[in-house]
Parts: sequence; structure tokens; C-alpha cells
Amino acid sequence: METPENDIQKAAIPEAPVNASPETAAKAPVAADIPSEPEVPATPVIPAGVFGSALAGAGLTVENLGNDVIGTEMVRTTVDDLLKVAAFLKDKQGFDLLLSCTGIDWKDRLESVYFLYSTTKHVYLSLRVNAVDDHSPSVYPIWNAADWHERETYDLFGIQYDGHPNLIRILMPDDWLGHPLRKDYKLNDPRLVWNER
Amino acid sequence: MSTLQIPGVYTEQGLKTEDLVVNIGPQHPSTHGVLRLITTLNGEVVKDMVPVIGYLHRSKEKMAESRSYFQYQPTIDRVEYLSSFFDHSVFVSGIESIAKLKVPKRVKYIRMITMELNRISSHLLWFGTFLLDLGATSTLFYAFREREEIFKLFEDLTGARMMYNYYRFGGVNADLPVGWIEQCREFVQSFPAKIDEYETIVTKNPIFLDRTVGIGLLDFDTCMRYGVTGPSIRATGIPMDLRKDAPYLCYDEVKFDVPVGTHGDVFDRYLVRMAEMRESVKIILQCLDQIPGGDTANVIAKTKEVEAAKEAAKAAGEDPKAVPGVDPDWLSVGQKINLLTYKPPAGEVYHVCESPRGMLGCHMISDGTAKAYRVKWRGASFSNLSVLPELMIGKLYPDLMAIFGSLDVILPEVDR
Repeated sequence: METPENDIQKAAIPEAPVNASPETAAKAPVAADIPSEPEVPATPVIPAGVFGSALAGAGLTVENLGNDVIGTEMVRTTVDDLLKVAAFLKDKQGFDLLLSCTGIDWKDRLESVYFLYSTTKHVYLSLRVNAVDDHSPSVYPIWNAADWHERETYDLFGIQYDGHPNLIRILMPDDWLGHPLRKDYKLNDPRLVWNER
Repeated sequence: MSTLQIPGVYTEQGLKTEDLVVNIGPQHPSTHGVLRLITTLNGEVVKDMVPVIGYLHRSKEKMAESRSYFQYQPTIDRVEYLSSFFDHSVFVSGIESIAKLKVPKRVKYIRMITMELNRISSHLLWFGTFLLDLGATSTLFYAFREREEIFKLFEDLTGARMMYNYYRFGGVNADLPVGWIEQCREFVQSFPAKIDEYETIVTKNPIFLDRTVGIGLLDFDTCMRYGVTGPSIRATGIPMDLRKDAPYLCYDEVKFDVPVGTHGDVFDRYLVRMAEMRESVKIILQCLDQIPGGDTANVIAKTKEVEAAKEAAKAAGEDPKAVPGVDPDWLSVGQKINLLTYKPPAGEVYHVCESPRGMLGCHMISDGTAKAYRVKWRGASFSNLSVLPELMIGKLYPDLMAIFGSLDVILPEVDR
């Protein structure tokens, strides 16, 4: 089950350093910098969308992730700026409805995803933030709808939302072990048998 | 007042009083599922309410990560069993967007017809059970009489009465049965008279008005704060409907109105849903007229004609591929793919549609393998239920079932 994904990762990782051909090795320490330079155009710069440029214009940290396949803009910010970005999006850009909050386990990091909808402009926005040590600020002060949605994400992914008024499990039983939607969650953990707990 | 004073809280009349914690559910007939409400009462007034959910959690999102897309599809029906065409629609259109599959226009119209019929059947069940919650038993039988007719149509179409599993990536499982369009038209044309019948029984009934008018007031700001969508937000007077605001499928080709309420109370939510059924009837009738190809008998006849023309061209020594085929908009499947081993390309999509309960979303991430990397369901009921404590605190306990019923919460969608 895991092999295809692992193969892709292994195939992708060792590409970069293995460029030491005899010619470049002869040029001594300066040559070490050369392989890193052509890599820059390999990751194309994604142009900022409407809201990405608006956020950058307001002096907030924003990373543009492009659009998804139906054209919904995706932006990523940092945990430090999340509340400022959220307040800016709500007050200045009209994103008054928080549709959902969820998490994604990318194996090396946990990401919170907020889906926003503007009832005046009729557009969606996907706001993302990488949790730092499984911690992320809660957007409850901005959108109260985050209450249950963040509880669900905490329950299933284990992201701790700092500042959330009532961060307890919502779907799983209170004494459940682990966070089921993480990719490293063991489905056959004997501790999960109900009768034996 | 007696001389014996026990420590505690006393009323103005000198009666000792205390708050009572009432545990409603998880098994309770009025909760339409398995919902537990820990309610603190001061007499008849609700002081605090904590909804406890999760009793129906079936890990639908985790299941998506261990099944191929096609294997996962039948389980979507169980996310929200009263209007599962909507769940299928967002899921299937998500894959179609990621893989850029062709979807014929006929398929889009079939999806619109089935979804609007499903909206009617869902609202009918709501209508029956909501009045049952209020103590009126007879309306349930009226509602189920028409719901049965819709189920017969669905059974002819999909083979199932509730768990349809009918949509496929880029198409539908099978084209409409011959004569289905006429059957459907017959039912839909007769249906507005039935809605009149319901409204004659209920809308001006003084007992019903006493239980619903001015109860459970919900304003637009509260809806926005809690993420409440669907008929509940339209009852506040805001015409917020994705079918109009951000049209998907072919909703921009049909004419309909978005019914709104004025005060946002339980009675308005009732009126909005009744009016929505009439609008659905309008949409279905337009779809039945506009569907490319018309009745399936036409499509079959046209296919036979094309085949005969190709045979004739072959016999005459011409290239049969030069013969114009059936209009691609007439097909019931846009592009044949092997469903069992289907691997959409890597991509991400968030599809939202207007379900009978509000905005239903599906967030899907594909990493190019046969299984989804992540599927997230945004059920409208989840957010709609979260507003219940705000609506109930300070209100009378007997209004609980009227208010809760009017939100039209489906618990399997809450817990997923």
C-alpha cells in the first residue's frame, strides 16, 4: 500500500546532489555552487492572485500556491501572521463565511486549510498555514464558525489550536488514542479495541 | 416563609430552586439520528446546552484513503442518505475537474433533474417529520405518499430507492429508461397541487402558527458567525443560493427564483422550504424540456441510424469514420474509462454545491495514485447544528424540538 508513494519520494529526493561530474569536480570549491543555480528556474514562481497580491500589499506574509483545478485561489501564510491575515480577509476582502477548516498530513508537516467564501463577491479562497510543532493559532476570534471545525481538525489530526475556547475531541470518544487521519496512524493498534481499554 | 432554611437558591416566593440537567438522547425520536443534548434547565427555560456528536462517526474520510475512487463511491451514499445525489455530484465533479474529463450536456441535465427531485424528496421527509415533532401525525402520510412516487422514479432509474450510486466519472451509470421523462413530467406537473394540499392543512393552522411564529429567530449575522447556510439563511431574507450565485452544471440555463423569508423564525424556514419545492418543480420541468436528445427512445433511434449509415458507407467502400456520429451532447457517458483501475492526475479541488441543507463541499487531493490522498466533506448540517445552543439558551424547553426540527439536521452528515 505504501510502496508507490515511497518510490515517488525516493526518486524525487536524490536528484539534486548527484551532479558531480569530473568536469565540475576539477573546478574545486566554486563548482559546488554551480548545481544549485540551475535549480532556481525548476521551481517556477507562481504569480500572485487577486487576494495574494492584496495580502502582500498590506504587508502580510503570504506565499502564493496558485489556483486549484477550478480556479480557487490558494494562499499560505505563517502562524505568526495568521490572525492578521484572517482579520484582513474578513474586514477588507469580504470573506465573511468560513466554510470549513480541515487538516492535511503531508508526512513531514501538518497543514491547516481554511476554506472561505465571500457572500458578496461569490468567490472562494483556500487559506493555509503550516502548524509549527503541531501548534497553530485559532481563528475563533475572527470566525466563530471555526469552533467546531477546529475541534474536528484537532480530533482527527492533532493540531493544537492556541486560543481556542474549548479544544476537546468532537467526533471520536474522549479517551481515544491518537489522531486517526494522520498518515502514520496504525489501524490495527491493539490498544484501540474498545473492550480492552 | 418557613423558618427552616436549607442552603441553596430561593425564588422570590421563597421556594427553593435548583438547575436541572436533562440529558436528551443519544437515542431520542426527535433528534432524527443519534444526537445527545446535555441541557441545563431552570424551570422551563434552557440555561445551557451542549450538543455531543460523533455517535455516527464512520470514518468516511479515512476510508477514502484506503479505497480506489470507484470503491469509495458507494460509501458516499451513506454520508447523507436523504439527498445522496448531491454528495455524489460534488465528488464526481471533483474528479472530473481534476482529470478534465468530458461531461456531456445530457449528463449534466440528468444530474440536475435527479438532484432537484432529490431536493423535493428530502424536503418532503423534513416536512413530514418536522410536523410529527410538533405533534401533527397526519402530514407524515401525505408527505410520504409523494415521496414514494419520487422513489419509484429513482428505482426505475438507478435500481435503488435510497442508496443510488448512479453518477460515474464523466457520465452516469445508465441512460434514462425509455419513457422515464414522461413519467417524471407527469409526477412533477401533478406535484404543485399536492403542495397546495399540504399548505391548506398546515400553513394557516392556528396551533402550528402558535408553535412556530416568532420562535427560533436567527439573523443573518448569527448565520455568518456559525456558518449556517441553506434554507435557514434564506429565511433571514438574504437570497444566498449557490445555484444563482456561482452556477454549476447547467443552472445558468434554467429560470427560477430564490425564495426568501422575512424574519428568520421557524415559520419562515417552513415557508422557504415549501417555496423551494415549487421552484424545484420549475427547474425540473425546464430541464425535461431542454435535455439534449429528449427521451431515450430518440437517442436509441439516432444511434441505430448512425450505425446503419456507417454500414452503408462501409458497403459502398467509403470510410465509415467520415459519417457524422451521434451528437456528443446526447451521450450518457462522455469518456469511457476503466473505473476499477482509474488513476486521475495529481491535483486538488474544492467543489461546493447547494444541497437541501446548505452548502455541501468536498475537498479532494489526488496524488496521481488510484486512491485519494485526502477527502474532506463539508456537510451543511455540521455548521447548522452548531448554532443550536445559541438559539436555545434563554428560550423555553418545549420549543426545542420546533427549533431543532426547523434546522433540518441530518446526523450522519454531521458525524460522517
